[in-house]
Amino acid sequence: MPSRAQVLVRMRLADKAFQYLTQVTALGVLGLLGCIIFALVIGALPALRTFGFDFLVTQNWNPVTERFGALAPVYGTLVTSLIAMAIAVPLGLFVAMFLTELCPLWLRRPIGIAVELLAGIPSIIYGIWGLFVFAPFLQSHVQPLLIDTFGEVPILSSLFAGPPYGIGTLTAGLILAIMVLPFITSISRDVFETVPAVLKESAYGLGCTTWEVFRNVVLPYTRVGVIGGVMLGLGRALGETMAVTFVIGNAHKIAPSILAPGTTISATIANEFTEAVGDLYTSSLIALGLILFAITLVVLALARYMLLRIERRLGA
Amino acid sequence: MTVAMVSAPHIDRVASDKAQLRERISIRELDFYYGDSRALKAISLPLFDRKVTAFIGPSGCGKSTLLRVLNRMYDLYPNQRAEGEVLFDGANILSPKQDLNLLRARIGMVFQKPTPFPMTIYDNIAFGIRLYERLSKSEVDGRVEESLKRAGLWNEVKDKLLANGLSLSGGQQQRLCIARTVAVRPEVILLDEPCSALDPISTAKIEELIEELKADYTIVIVTHNMQQAARVSEFTAFMYLGELIEFGDTQKIFTTPNDLRTQDYITGRFG
Amino acid sequence: MHASLYARRRRRNAVAMSLSLLATMIGLGWLVLILGALLWQGLSGLSLKVFTEMTPPPGADGGLLNPIAGSLIMTGLAVLIGTPVGILAGTYMAEYGRYARTTSVVRFINDILLSAPSIIVGLFIYEVAVAPMGHFSALAGALALAVIVVPVVIRTTEDMLLLVPNPLREAAAALGIPRAYIIRHVAYRAAKAGIVTGVLLAIARISGETAPLLFTALNNQFWSSNLNAPMASLPAVIFQFALSPYADWQKLAWTGALIITLAVLTLSIVARVVTGSRRQS
Repeated sequence: MPSRAQVLVRMRLADKAFQYLTQVTALGVLGLLGCIIFALVIGALPALRTFGFDFLVTQNWNPVTERFGALAPVYGTLVTSLIAMAIAVPLGLFVAMFLTELCPLWLRRPIGIAVELLAGIPSIIYGIWGLFVFAPFLQSHVQPLLIDTFGEVPILSSLFAGPPYGIGTLTAGLILAIMVLPFITSISRDVFETVPAVLKESAYGLGCTTWEVFRNVVLPYTRVGVIGGVMLGLGRALGETMAVTFVIGNAHKIAPSILAPGTTISATIANEFTEAVGDLYTSSLIALGLILFAITLVVLALARYMLLRIERRLGA
Repeated sequence: MTVAMVSAPHIDRVASDKAQLRERISIRELDFYYGDSRALKAISLPLFDRKVTAFIGPSGCGKSTLLRVLNRMYDLYPNQRAEGEVLFDGANILSPKQDLNLLRARIGMVFQKPTPFPMTIYDNIAFGIRLYERLSKSEVDGRVEESLKRAGLWNEVKDKLLANGLSLSGGQQQRLCIARTVAVRPEVILLDEPCSALDPISTAKIEELIEELKADYTIVIVTHNMQQAARVSEFTAFMYLGELIEFGDTQKIFTTPNDLRTQDYITGRFG
Repeated sequence: MHASLYARRRRRNAVAMSLSLLATMIGLGWLVLILGALLWQGLSGLSLKVFTEMTPPPGADGGLLNPIAGSLIMTGLAVLIGTPVGILAGTYMAEYGRYARTTSVVRFINDILLSAPSIIVGLFIYEVAVAPMGHFSALAGALALAVIVVPVVIRTTEDMLLLVPNPLREAAAALGIPRAYIIRHVAYRAAKAGIVTGVLLAIARISGETAPLLFTALNNQFWSSNLNAPMASLPAVIFQFALSPYADWQKLAWTGALIITLAVLTLSIVARVVTGSRRQS
């Protein structure tokens, strides 16, 4: 029968091995990010070398003449995300306010679950729904309305001009809004619940209405967390592929009207990558991917940094 | 190195017992730091074989810190370090060469809050045993029964050994933890306020247990309950603000202490 | 004067509260509309045939057997590859490296990877697996999905292990049990439900992912179980069929969409039940 000391010596080696294994895997995460950046850069190099900085500002996208420019996709990505955030942020905050202030207790859990279900629906479902249900609806009921309403207004008429395709930049923006809404709602709700009860009670004690407490106590207190959540939502909107691909129309053009078809970076890549012939074409698409990654990296890093600050304040 | 008695002005003992006393652990000039702040100052005291020694003192005096040095529990956390010597059977356990797992198998610890593992009652006990020894099922069964009997829990759980450890009451869980500690056959048992989370009846049961266990183990108990210290221990160390103020026979400490601070604490002037 | 000020405040409050109710109804309304459309369009196409026949050419009759099988294979493989990696890394972050500086960096980067666009993952795997190999393959598809699984599992593993109370670890250490054993037998056991939930959530997440598969596993009209060749997957087939001009293909796309949604919702509910029951125990 081996002594206890002998048994422990034997176990020590396995102990150390396990420790190193876990450490290497953890560091591997950093390695993964590095590899992704590296692979994208290598793939994009031919295009970047050929077009240089012009790549970012050219609208041209011609596979035949092999002249590619990222302007239209980048524009589309930014515009659709902007539309999405403009709608989803106020909506999401109001839903979160409802959940934390107004909603009766027994209803909170079911609605919370519904919000999470909405967040879990895969983006391709949004895509197919958008294409066959939402876009036709917009085409027949909403877009003619918009065109007529703004038809006479000086600047806005060009913003809402054009034949009602149904699909287009606005539609894509709206679908993105629906997809981003549950994220903003969840994170805002979690953040709103961190407000100490005593703080809110002091405000109510002064006779404040629910709205006043929300606006003057809850929102300022959770400001950083809310912004972090919004940026996370933005990060998602920027990178969203399938839902957008179905309804954006895939036109490599920047049109002044948001009712017109357009394209985003991810939609372009999704649609064209498998058919891309020629190294320059493929490389240009990867270059688009690199641009997208750079943008989302910055947005997500900022978002996480802000959420980190809120966690730290809670003494995590 | 001979196992010598550490002599200091504030250490006292009854003369007739001198011959039977063997110093199992010698703490010498022990300093302990949390980061840069010094929590224990030059502690020196003996812990005698098969006797119960109690550490008492007001909150924050360092008694739990001192206890946790004895099985180097602080090693799990960064920023905590100990300097000085703690001799266990002659060897300094503070040395970096000390095998920690071996040390902790010889010096067991029971914590303030009962912490049964998320396993069956049987497995809670068998876990430690199986780690060190390769025994047949019937041998393990025997050891489990032996440990539960020593902890005074056998009759209450013998029919539900496969129940989850968390299904027991607080007092039973604590006795389970004691059984678990005893199962790996340590030589010293450290008790960190073992009854503070328990009701008076469970507390009484555990104090009985300590009375039985001291026949075979060296016991050190940290308690903020002075009456408990007076009831169960033979030696008491009074600590205050990280220093050892007085150490000696429990009877003497509680009736005629040498130091004024000891007297004030005992009589409830502060604490 | 006070009265009119007060009245105004009350009005403002009423407006705000109504808006929040309206917002909630709008927000949830989408869910109803989408699920409704899915059931309406997809349910009628749901039949045993869907699960037993291959994808048909346009105009012919068929099912979704090969994409369903392909999705199951690639998802399974991705989970097989990604889960151990994720659990090991999460273990380091919560146990050995809990107080280390690198851990906070890894956590930060991991959270970024968690929300990174999945099409970028597809491009990445294309660069490192498809291009060198010279062809699309199911293996590449599984790798892309694994890259998405890993950050999810790391996050949940670390969170769950951090929830295991330290006194439990100390009690095990006090018995002289070595670190690796404490982790494996005490910490993992205590965090088991949470870690399983994390894996279920990761599966739910990758079940619907299309973009990473588009140029890694591509698609396949026929039955294939060859990991080294393109393989059909439900999302890729839905993509192809929905955008096609053929009505019966579109019908199959809706049915496929319904299947995916039901799978994802079921997984989410199961995950919730697992955590819920643990909380009660």
